[in-house]
Amino acid sequence: MRLPLPYRALCGLVGAALVAAGLFLVLLFFVTHAPGSDPAIPTGPVGLYFAALGGCALVGWGGSLLAALRGAGAARGAGTASVLALVLGAVLSLSAWVLGDYHVWPGELLRSGAAGLLLLALAFTWARPRRAAAAPGDAA
Amino acid sequence: MVLRLLASLPILGLLALALALPFTAIGRRGPEAQLRADLPGAVGALGETLPDFSLPDLEGRPVALSELRGERVLLTFERSVDW
Repeated sequence: MRLPLPYRALCGLVGAALVAAGLFLVLLFFVTHAPGSDPAIPTGPVGLYFAALGGCALVGWGGSLLAALRGAGAARGAGTASVLALVLGAVLSLSAWVLGDYHVWPGELLRSGAAGLLLLALAFTWARPRRAAAAPGDAA
Repeated sequence: MVLRLLASLPILGLLALALALPFTAIGRRGPEAQLRADLPGAVGALGETLPDFSLPDLEGRPVALSELRGERVLLTFERSVDW
């Protein structure tokens, strides 16, 4: 069964954005280590490494969403996993905002970013295809 | 439908928290927010003499503001990025 257009658009756009963000973080790691370059994000080598490692995970997450466009069952499962990841990201952002140590750089972006992640989570929750729409035998 | 509604409730709760945080006691309790709240009372107005205080230098030795009387003093607070 073909996926509804809003959900296809959601998975496609978010998937592409995640792959792009992940590749950016990985690229940032190599660019920052080039001789004479300044750190693009205010963190040390360890933080940069973990950001790049997180970028690799973003590439995988985005790729999964793009691959899920091929089938309703896979798209449903990818949607559920994405909701969990988005909510977790929002909790992390809100915690960082409350802690206060991150106000110097991202500031209010933490709170508005968390709100954006939660809105995306709501979109995935409601646009996700129904279980009956998943192909027989598909894990959802 | 019911499951989607149930799944949406914690998300909506977090969304409400994200919007309401600056107006809550939680949002005002962070170190940065606390520092900002204390700042107006801690820093004197332009031209006034600061109250004496002591801070550790790069070697960890305490340095009092009163020890530097008569000299030009520039006080900065920076976060090390260990880069």
